[in-house]
Amino acid sequence: MTRESLDVDVLIVGGGPAGLSAALRLAQLQKEKGGERLSIAVLEKAREAGAHILSGAILDLSTLRDLIPDYADKGAPFAAEVHHDAVYFFTQTSKLSFPIIPPPLRNHGNAIISLNALVRWLSAQVEAEGIDLFSGFAAQDILMDGSRVIGVRTGDRGIGKRGEQKPNFEAGVDIRAKVTIFCDGVRGNLTKELLRRLQLGKDRAPEVFALGIKELWDVPADRMAAGTVFHTMGYPLRQEEFGGGFVYAMPEGRLSVGFVVGLDYKDPLFDPHMAFNRFKQHPFMQTLLEGGQMVRYGAKALPEGGWNAVPQPYMDGGLIAGDAGGFVNALRLKGIHLAMRTGMLAAETAFDAIRAGDTSASSLKRYQDRIDASPVRAELYPVRNVHQAFSYGLFAGMAFAGVSLFTRGWWVKDLQAHPGHERMEKLQSHPTSIPPPRNATTIDRRLTFDKVTNVHFSGTAHDEDQPPHLQVHTEVCSSICGDEYGHPCLRFCPANVYEIVHEADGTPRLQINASNCVHCKTCDIIDPYQVITWVPPEGGGGPQYNGM
Amino acid sequence: MILVIAEQRDGRLNRATWETLAAAQMLAGGMPITIVVLGAAPGNVAQELAAAGVGEVLVATNRALDPYTPDAYVMALGGLIRSVLPTYVLLPHTYQARDFAPMLAARLNKPLVTDVTAVTGTGTGATFTRLMFQGKLVAQVRPTGEPPWFVTFQIGAFRADAVRKGPAASITKTDVTIDPTLIRQKPEPPVQAVKQAVDLSQAERIVAVGRGIKSEENIPIAKKLAEAMGAELAASRPICDNGWLPMERQVGSSGQTVAPKLYVALGISGAIQHLVGMKGARTIVAINKDAEAPIFEVADYGIVGDLFEIVPAMIVELEKEK
Repeated sequence: MTRESLDVDVLIVGGGPAGLSAALRLAQLQKEKGGERLSIAVLEKAREAGAHILSGAILDLSTLRDLIPDYADKGAPFAAEVHHDAVYFFTQTSKLSFPIIPPPLRNHGNAIISLNALVRWLSAQVEAEGIDLFSGFAAQDILMDGSRVIGVRTGDRGIGKRGEQKPNFEAGVDIRAKVTIFCDGVRGNLTKELLRRLQLGKDRAPEVFALGIKELWDVPADRMAAGTVFHTMGYPLRQEEFGGGFVYAMPEGRLSVGFVVGLDYKDPLFDPHMAFNRFKQHPFMQTLLEGGQMVRYGAKALPEGGWNAVPQPYMDGGLIAGDAGGFVNALRLKGIHLAMRTGMLAAETAFDAIRAGDTSASSLKRYQDRIDASPVRAELYPVRNVHQAFSYGLFAGMAFAGVSLFTRGWWVKDLQAHPGHERMEKLQSHPTSIPPPRNATTIDRRLTFDKVTNVHFSGTAHDEDQPPHLQVHTEVCSSICGDEYGHPCLRFCPANVYEIVHEADGTPRLQINASNCVHCKTCDIIDPYQVITWVPPEGGGGPQYNGM
Repeated sequence: MILVIAEQRDGRLNRATWETLAAAQMLAGGMPITIVVLGAAPGNVAQELAAAGVGEVLVATNRALDPYTPDAYVMALGGLIRSVLPTYVLLPHTYQARDFAPMLAARLNKPLVTDVTAVTGTGTGATFTRLMFQGKLVAQVRPTGEPPWFVTFQIGAFRADAVRKGPAASITKTDVTIDPTLIRQKPEPPVQAVKQAVDLSQAERIVAVGRGIKSEENIPIAKKLAEAMGAELAASRPICDNGWLPMERQVGSSGQTVAPKLYVALGISGAIQHLVGMKGARTIVAINKDAEAPIFEVADYGIVGDLFEIVPAMIVELEKEK
């Protein structure tokens, strides 16, 4: 088979905030320092920049100010400036306001944004620098020479359901680079593979994740002033679940309504999407959304492991930046500015290393030094134990979060964490009392939606005639999973990808509706047997987020 | 006089021509009808059409008419229309007519009313009905100015079997002049498009099956109903995903978008992904066990019940009609 190849100096895998900031920073360094022009390529699996990205989102402007000081003149798309903050504690029927807003949740001066719009704008800045942005191309495999990363291979196109080549078959391309910067996002398929092959997570805390589910709503324009932001804790979650809801108000009655749940819950019957529906059914939310219309839907996992879970972010020929490396402040619910910052630092490191002619791990280790000297460590280190503390329950977590801030993170001993999937309990061992989140809730297709209807509003589309990009290497679905966990995939997936159908003899069989997948990575993270592997589908397939 | 332009390829008549003839007879109100058949060698199409109860069948031959090109057709028909001066020029709204009719009308600077679904009145006072904005609005159109007026008729809007047959009409051969140097298109031999064997978007009637069909062994039940109705068989995603029907029969956001006159949904719950592919159907009949299924929100006729009881009963009734 003939396979085309392409050689570049720097290859950036993933056109999100980290990857695009890295590309832009490289172009800036090129201009500042002159010399032979570096060739740079950015790979993005979405058909157009920003279409697969999803966030709340509130942007801390600090990194953007450093990267593009004249961002306002260049038309950075902000929906509104935050001018009103609130934090509520929900019970089933009422809400309590926090008398003071905990400092990490104060957002005055930050901007409410659509991350799709911001990324699209960033990609235009990158393309204006003459950098090649290959959208619609998914990086499928890492190319390695021993322990050295030498590039990636993009996915083949035109492979049929049963693995056969279709008439439009096109082999993937090998892209070789002196430095590859992995910005493949939360639970990136290549970063996951790097961590495994090069043991980059050794001696670090296990990664911890959460799942964010979000809808955009159009409500009457006078319902809530643009720039209003609130976060909720409590109902419908129990003490044992970590997470909460949010509403960010944008102009013209557009609301970003979301719910985040730690992907380390114990109850195998817990359903994050149902919790989101229950959140919307809270009387306060019902009043807010009354008469409005849901216009978009999406879901995405987010890293919450914090500083101690960040893997070694450098290796021979490679660097890891952004969500792929877990650079998120879970307490502030913010990571975009850290993704951008680590992207910039990775670019600076790669640039120096290529100029010096040494792109080995010992040269690229400067990336770690740069991070340690940057606002990234300053922000993440003090709160390094916070998500872990919440594993002891909501109130313990809140108390701990308070103490952390007070002591600037000093603590006798770092808290132990467990990978989220290990915390899920079997049906028999989880208490059988049935608190609210376990009951089915009503779906009225006005306020609450079933997953299939929601998926439609994510714009998700894949070529149906391709191998499933969710690889499940197991028979447990037919054998023990039903008894042990009651098929949790039916509940943890927010897009109805997994279905259990029963054969004529009653044997359960897993049916994978891969074309529903919104690329949130939840299944890859939380499946208790760790048998689901998310790989990229044919390039371009996936959600079509817009305004999210 | 009404001139009907027949459509033939390789000596085979496109059956939509009969529908246009039915429309012509409704419209005529005493006006004589002439049919014109074009081609290098249109075979026996003229004899077939002579039985249609029309005044005359013209056979316009020229070697440059085969293979079809819009330029050759416009030259041939332009000259012919100028010499016979019909009041109306009628065509079926086929792909071919869509290709050359606008150019022909523009060349003669005459009005063209397209995709007409109904005619009221006769002769020069007739009004034509056509759908606008994807069927959301209905427009009544009356051409003005000097005839001839061009009208194309939607496929399926008139019944081919409604044509009143009559004594065999005279067949007149006529040569048309075409300057081959003015033909700007050079067609390649036709190729089979990437194996989209069924074009559901052209189907007038569709029987679609969903999960309620339960197993592959039950597909023939739906197939039999489709045959009895003269309908195409289609399916929702899970059916094609299981390989019970080929993917090209899938209707919905990841399949085809269809707008038949009649859509019978068997055991389809009506997920929004399916609805977006078929809600343009004129009449939707839904059969589903679950009275709460969202398909009933878009259905014109709904039967809450077991499709395995209802469908065989429908087949029996349909067979009686035959």
